[in-house]
Amino acid sequence: MTRGETCYLPAARLADLTGREVHGLKPVLEWAEGSRPFAIRDCFDQSLRASRSLLLEDGSRLELISGSGRVLSQPATPQARFVAEFSEGPVKAALAHLSPLRALLPVASGIARSGLLALVDDEGKTRARAGLRELQAANGITVILVTPQGLRGYDGALHDLVAHIRDCGGTPLAAGNLYRMIDPAGTGYDAKPKIEVGREETAFDAANDLIDGYLPVIRANEQGIIADLDTEFLHDYRVSLRKIRSVLSLFKGVYAPEQTLELKARFSALMAPTGPLRDLDVYLLEQQGFRDLVPERMQAGLDRMFALLRDRRTAEQQRLAAHLRSKAYQKEIKALAKLFAKRRKLLPGPNASRASFDLACELIWKRYRRIRRIAAELTARTPQDEVHELRIECKKLRYLMEFFGPVFAQDDLRSILKPLKSLQDSLGLFNDYAVQQAWLEAFAEGLDDRPHQLEIAQSVGALVIVLHQKQEAERERIVAAFARFNSDKMQRIIRKLFHDGKGA
Amino acid sequence: MQIIACYSNKGGVGKTATAVNLAFAYAASGRRTLLCDLDPQGASGFYFRVKPSEKLTEARFFEDADRFAQAIRGSDYDDLDILPANMGFRDFDLFLSRMKNSQSRLKKTLKAVRSDYDVVVLDCPPNISMLSENVFHAADAVVVPVIPTTLSQRTFEQLLEFFGDAGLSKERIHAFFSMVQSIKSLHGEIIAEMTGAHSERFMRATIPFASEIERMGLARAPVLATAPNSRAGRAYRSLFAEIDGRTKP
Repeated sequence: MTRGETCYLPAARLADLTGREVHGLKPVLEWAEGSRPFAIRDCFDQSLRASRSLLLEDGSRLELISGSGRVLSQPATPQARFVAEFSEGPVKAALAHLSPLRALLPVASGIARSGLLALVDDEGKTRARAGLRELQAANGITVILVTPQGLRGYDGALHDLVAHIRDCGGTPLAAGNLYRMIDPAGTGYDAKPKIEVGREETAFDAANDLIDGYLPVIRANEQGIIADLDTEFLHDYRVSLRKIRSVLSLFKGVYAPEQTLELKARFSALMAPTGPLRDLDVYLLEQQGFRDLVPERMQAGLDRMFALLRDRRTAEQQRLAAHLRSKAYQKEIKALAKLFAKRRKLLPGPNASRASFDLACELIWKRYRRIRRIAAELTARTPQDEVHELRIECKKLRYLMEFFGPVFAQDDLRSILKPLKSLQDSLGLFNDYAVQQAWLEAFAEGLDDRPHQLEIAQSVGALVIVLHQKQEAERERIVAAFARFNSDKMQRIIRKLFHDGKGA
Repeated sequence: MQIIACYSNKGGVGKTATAVNLAFAYAASGRRTLLCDLDPQGASGFYFRVKPSEKLTEARFFEDADRFAQAIRGSDYDDLDILPANMGFRDFDLFLSRMKNSQSRLKKTLKAVRSDYDVVVLDCPPNISMLSENVFHAADAVVVPVIPTTLSQRTFEQLLEFFGDAGLSKERIHAFFSMVQSIKSLHGEIIAEMTGAHSERFMRATIPFASEIERMGLARAPVLATAPNSRAGRAYRSLFAEIDGRTKP
């Protein structure tokens, strides 16, 4: 038996599919008795939709139908939401590229039933057939999946059947978008929207475009945070908010000074309530990593700590959800969205009318020089605060380069961003280790009088020692990473791009 | 690839019905199965509604592996394909007699599809001929339906004699009683007598004389597909289980 490409068609076309003879063969459709629930799943970032594959939970089976028509199948794991929670099998293996942090959410769900369409000759012999799956979604939309199946020796009939399915509106999964048909209300989500900044565009317009572009990302993540679908909703929410705040602080003089202050305060107020939950998420996601860092006899203490953190997280999540649902929050976020969409009430500052290209060059060049100044004095004994400052400067430089990315030569920009990213990675780890030590110590100290306090404190103590060692080891990597970023070649490229090739 | 021949040197014993239902049972057990109809009357193909293979002449059958493979047709059932016969197959003997190594031609022909199938069931014409010698050489098991009558008793003895003369292993013969009517006392007597004389060769499962089997010609489908839980259906299932147990490689 050979399988043809799986096609989908609207249920309304089923009558055409079964209603007329196909080259003298009679179509006969039989539905199997019984139905079962189905769900089409995807991550919020639509990774599967983008790759044109379909993750279909059909009754007790989990299937992955790829754009190329390959069908993988394994038993479904009830209640599983993350790839890691699926039982081992070919579907799980094929989903390994998905983010382990993203939940697979139902895009559409409802009732499925199966049928068989046969093309029968004058002897009553089946010459070709197609497996049918009717997916009747709860939103009222019904889609039919059709998989032609050839019988040996009847290639002609299979060919005719495939053509017939196409004539009746059948679209191969690879060529079309089943998601659009079954989930027409679903809009795309892009955590990193492409925001076009033109070379001659004013800095004022560029800043407005950027903020206006990131605000919808914030809004898109609200429901996922409230429903606690996965931790990435809050992460994306905060990244977008941070980018907006960077625009306000980095694009100096673009808005009137009083308005800049006001906007900074308003966006800062949006960020503040999200911090505690994100911290807890980060520590809980790191649970296994932390366990691996301490001797086995210390692990029980850490497990007790994580149990406490999970309780706290539940409370924090509810607090943040209530905040996001509150009238005050909704009013504020809508007001900000309106402000940057209409733009009439935005007040230009002294740099508002400068061309974005000029302003970008100036800002980037200034940051770059500051980074070189700090990094030049970096040694094994450099105080933590100075390393921290270097990290912040690198982050600002990176944001500036990304905001204004489209106005610079892409190849040159990429060659700078690569060593900058690896420098940032090292700085980030160094900072994470420092922050984690302080946070864990504060946590342990705050545990006065709880049962197991001593056990937890000992385990945290062991963990802090390891984190300190790792932090010191990272310091050396920072020096090496900076050397790569500060090579003669990089200096030449940066000068060419942002300083018109002139000397410092 | 296992080769199971349904053979009887006497006609009208329920041989084709056995081949059709056995092939169905093998496929239903998940094995990729080819039912190869060697009988020019083409009854096996008829039961599966497959039209005769007009293009497959005897020369092509034995000498052109591609043509042989192209003549195979998928049945309406999963894992079950049919090689339909045509009237040209009646000249197999004449053709084989002119060939070298004329006893092993069938085995060679079937090699062409060995990667496609786990089991080949042969439905053989009812005679002792060059073709049946080919069948005996190719088959891992020769399943022989025997109606419990004195005439059948005689033809079964002839078959054993032929195997002995040709130096073929009688172990490969798996006989069973077919079209058994429990109401006839003669049937019971002959069954007892033959089972006593050839206890190793006869299986315990028997196929009754049943209307479902006769109706296969109208339904044009195996009993195991249309009436799996009828008396005949249950009997074919037991027969399959026993053959499968006796021929496990």
